[in-house]
Amino acid sequence: MIKYLSTLLIGVLLLNSSAYANESTEHDSLEKELAYLAAERKVVVTASKMEEHVDKTVATTTVITQDDIAHIGARNLLDVLRLVPGIGITQTQFGWREIEVRGVKTGLSEKVQIMLNGHPLDHNLQNAGSAWVYDDLPVDTIKRVEVVRGPGSALYGANAFLAVINIITQNAKDLNGLQTSAGWGSFDTQQYRASWGKQFKNTAEAALHFNFTDTNGINSPIPADSLSVQGLNSSAPGKSQLTEGRYDLEWQLGYQDFKLDGRYINKKAGTFFGAASILSDNRTQQDYNDYFLRLSRIWKIKDNFTVDTQLFHDYFSYDNLWQVAPTQFIRSGLQDTRTGGEIQANYHFSDAQTLISGFSYAKEQQGNLIDEAGSDPARLTPTLTTTEERIRNRWGVYLEDVWDPLKSVRLTLGARYDRYNDFGGTFNPRMGFNWEFIKNYSLKFSYGTAYRAPAFGELGLANNPILLGNPMLKPEEVKTFETGIIAHPVAGLTTQATYYHSAINQIISQVPVQSTISKYENSGSVIAEGVELEARYDFDGNLQGSYISANHVLQHSVQLGRQLADVPQHRTNLTALWAFDNTWSSFAHVLIKDSTSRNLGDTRQDVPGYALLDLGLLGKNMFGKKVDISFNVYNLFDKRYYDPASTSLNFIGDYQMAGRAFFGHVSLKF
Amino acid sequence: MKIINFCKALILLVAFFGSAGFAQSNKVLIVNSEKAVYRYETIATEFKKVLQQNAYQWAEFNLDGHANAEAELKQLIEQENPALIYCIGTQAYSLVHNVAPNKKMLFSAAINWRRLDVGAGTYGVANELSSAQELSLLRYFFPTIKTIGLLYNDSFSREYVETIKKDALASGINIINKPINDTQEISGALNELLPKIDIFWIISDPVVLSNKESVRQIFQAAQQQKKPVYAYSDVYIEQGAVLSISADIATIGRQSAGLAMMAEQDKVPGGTVQSPAGSMVTLNKCALDALKLKFNQDALDSVNKIVGCDQ
Repeated sequence: MIKYLSTLLIGVLLLNSSAYANESTEHDSLEKELAYLAAERKVVVTASKMEEHVDKTVATTTVITQDDIAHIGARNLLDVLRLVPGIGITQTQFGWREIEVRGVKTGLSEKVQIMLNGHPLDHNLQNAGSAWVYDDLPVDTIKRVEVVRGPGSALYGANAFLAVINIITQNAKDLNGLQTSAGWGSFDTQQYRASWGKQFKNTAEAALHFNFTDTNGINSPIPADSLSVQGLNSSAPGKSQLTEGRYDLEWQLGYQDFKLDGRYINKKAGTFFGAASILSDNRTQQDYNDYFLRLSRIWKIKDNFTVDTQLFHDYFSYDNLWQVAPTQFIRSGLQDTRTGGEIQANYHFSDAQTLISGFSYAKEQQGNLIDEAGSDPARLTPTLTTTEERIRNRWGVYLEDVWDPLKSVRLTLGARYDRYNDFGGTFNPRMGFNWEFIKNYSLKFSYGTAYRAPAFGELGLANNPILLGNPMLKPEEVKTFETGIIAHPVAGLTTQATYYHSAINQIISQVPVQSTISKYENSGSVIAEGVELEARYDFDGNLQGSYISANHVLQHSVQLGRQLADVPQHRTNLTALWAFDNTWSSFAHVLIKDSTSRNLGDTRQDVPGYALLDLGLLGKNMFGKKVDISFNVYNLFDKRYYDPASTSLNFIGDYQMAGRAFFGHVSLKF
Repeated sequence: MKIINFCKALILLVAFFGSAGFAQSNKVLIVNSEKAVYRYETIATEFKKVLQQNAYQWAEFNLDGHANAEAELKQLIEQENPALIYCIGTQAYSLVHNVAPNKKMLFSAAINWRRLDVGAGTYGVANELSSAQELSLLRYFFPTIKTIGLLYNDSFSREYVETIKKDALASGINIINKPINDTQEISGALNELLPKIDIFWIISDPVVLSNKESVRQIFQAAQQQKKPVYAYSDVYIEQGAVLSISADIATIGRQSAGLAMMAEQDKVPGGTVQSPAGSMVTLNKCALDALKLKFNQDALDSVNKIVGCDQ
């Protein structure tokens, strides 16, 4: 009996365990399947996502990656922008550089909107533009630069007039530890950088960047100034005094859906020529402070509905001492702030359609004006202010619909209305389509308008003996039509051709009102049209990582029936990267620029064109993948070439640019 | 620059590129979306077995084991210079597509491959069986079926559902599909859908099948409304599905290896995506009887496994 019971017990146990095992296996199978589905759910590779690729956007976009920047051996942002089709860089007499876009160039580059991680950097309200402190932005911490050519006001508002340059910097995930780098080169140039980033388990993350840059400048020969040509005492002949030193501190802090980010910059610079028509000695000093602070949060209402909110505070100030005669100095300074917020709703109707709408508000304020003059820079006395304290309120609403009615077609429709308390409202639409009519061949078309708001200096310039402000100014306007084709005829080859036509109206110009006095007026128009051709071939096989590329622009910008001065009609970039192996690669870049014509009445000969060759060598991931080293030679053949000096300085010829120059760079990862 | 110097520079550049060889290695890089996922790992194991038998070399990269997978993968691709990259799962494919768009690529285990950007240098083995084949088998088993219902998420399954609808139209079957964005919508969607259909089809949609609760909801609703459920995998038989036709996972791995070798030798046209070669038909006799569902007895010959109430 006992034997029978024990057999029964064992049997029951066995049966139970078998049943349990079956159930467990079945549950395991379901769990395994659900785990697989969960893994697949992590990434949404939708048609619309794919169409965010450069090929599929409506706008003409160029993306320069961190890898590209390393190979270029870029010393600053300008070295990166130089390679972008349709963009040219030239020197100004004051020190900062002009960014020419699609055949249009102005002294302050105020028609180009530069952004850092999506935040506009046009913090200088007096004179507009961002080139003041961002032209020589260090590039070590940059992950990507996106250059969108064409009007962008329908989405970004003011000053996204000719192009938007968005600089994306490394975040905590990209850094994942400590990275440092240092660079040394010609003209006593030195750069140092330290970055640290970490993602914490509680969803917090932090990234910090610090850069220090210093250079003595290219010491370009200046043969004469307005005094020396009269035989008067002057610094000429002499050399340019464009020393530049800057500190940058950037932070990106995140916790859950909140993010606090910003950047502080202090930049001190001399000047290239000077503020007046006399060559400055080394006593001209420009001192800029710039920062922004942004608190943002993404609210996920539903999977397909998110709301982005942000509050921001921008600050810009300068305190500049200009030498205007051998023993005459003026000091000018001010502080600008912009405080505001933005709310943007993103609604994904489906993978084929996304609607973005938003509202922004900002209060802009200018104050703490400094205007002094005297013969001794240490003992200047107050003078009448040359501008005015000013407050501006502005708000804007925008709507954009990105719709893919077919997998091969994307339509974009958008519009933005902005209202300013000082000059009223402006409405800017944008529309376009992208059609992949054959596999790997896409056709683009877009039309849009943009505006540039009058700067405070243009509205309220005062007590200036030769130039008057005009509070009645309206914004400048541009209407741009462009069409293009992108093709990948064979694997690895990307080609693109774009035609654009821009009509710029109500240009804010200095119009003579008396024989020696000018005034800002909405006057004149410019027609800029051109063709941009691009091609890039990426090698495969043993040459994986190598590429050759070329871009050529043919541009024709006309004002009053004349080609715009100081702008070339042709510009070509040829680049080649040869990856020797997994570590070493070399880079070559040839820039060919056409000659540029002069202003009406300027009798100088055209500025001659030139071709420059730069070479670079890069070693990556050495010594346990911790070290990158690069060495670059710019203008290898020591070509003597010139950037155009303004007509008012016609007696000095033009600005001689840097000859052969070297730059070495070391980067360490910990 | 003098023209002679410019010409010298051009000659140097041409020489750089002219001097290098274009020989290819026959190494395969396997990129696994998540090693811990059974399906991915089974496919990888079977894939490697075939490569080994054919004396192919391979390197492996598991995305879940790297904090900065993108940078490390890019570096590995440069280092290994593989002739082909085998991507297991959508995550792997998506990353490789971005990092090395010009490399020859093969994918499998990617849900709804039609949403991927499959270029000339891309090959694949679909995760789903041919919907035409599935519909024809369904019709064979249940000749009276006229209307099939399914739930899906637009982001993940739109293209697959469109294909099903086209194939169904050709078979004279009506498809009623309902998109959902969240599992919370499942219950309402089923209440609306089930009364209108003859059978409910579970497709491999990762939003609909987010967790066990969503699976339970589907079968509970179907049971309440006495509607049979057909599923893409036999794991749902135990939950109450009457029929499943599932792609054999191990076969996908072996099939991928075969395709990889052919693709590596350019013996197959670029852009080729094969349907899974192996399938298994499982019939739940118990659920069938409970629903008193009429089915074609001749179809039993096509069944690989019959599950009764005692199993």
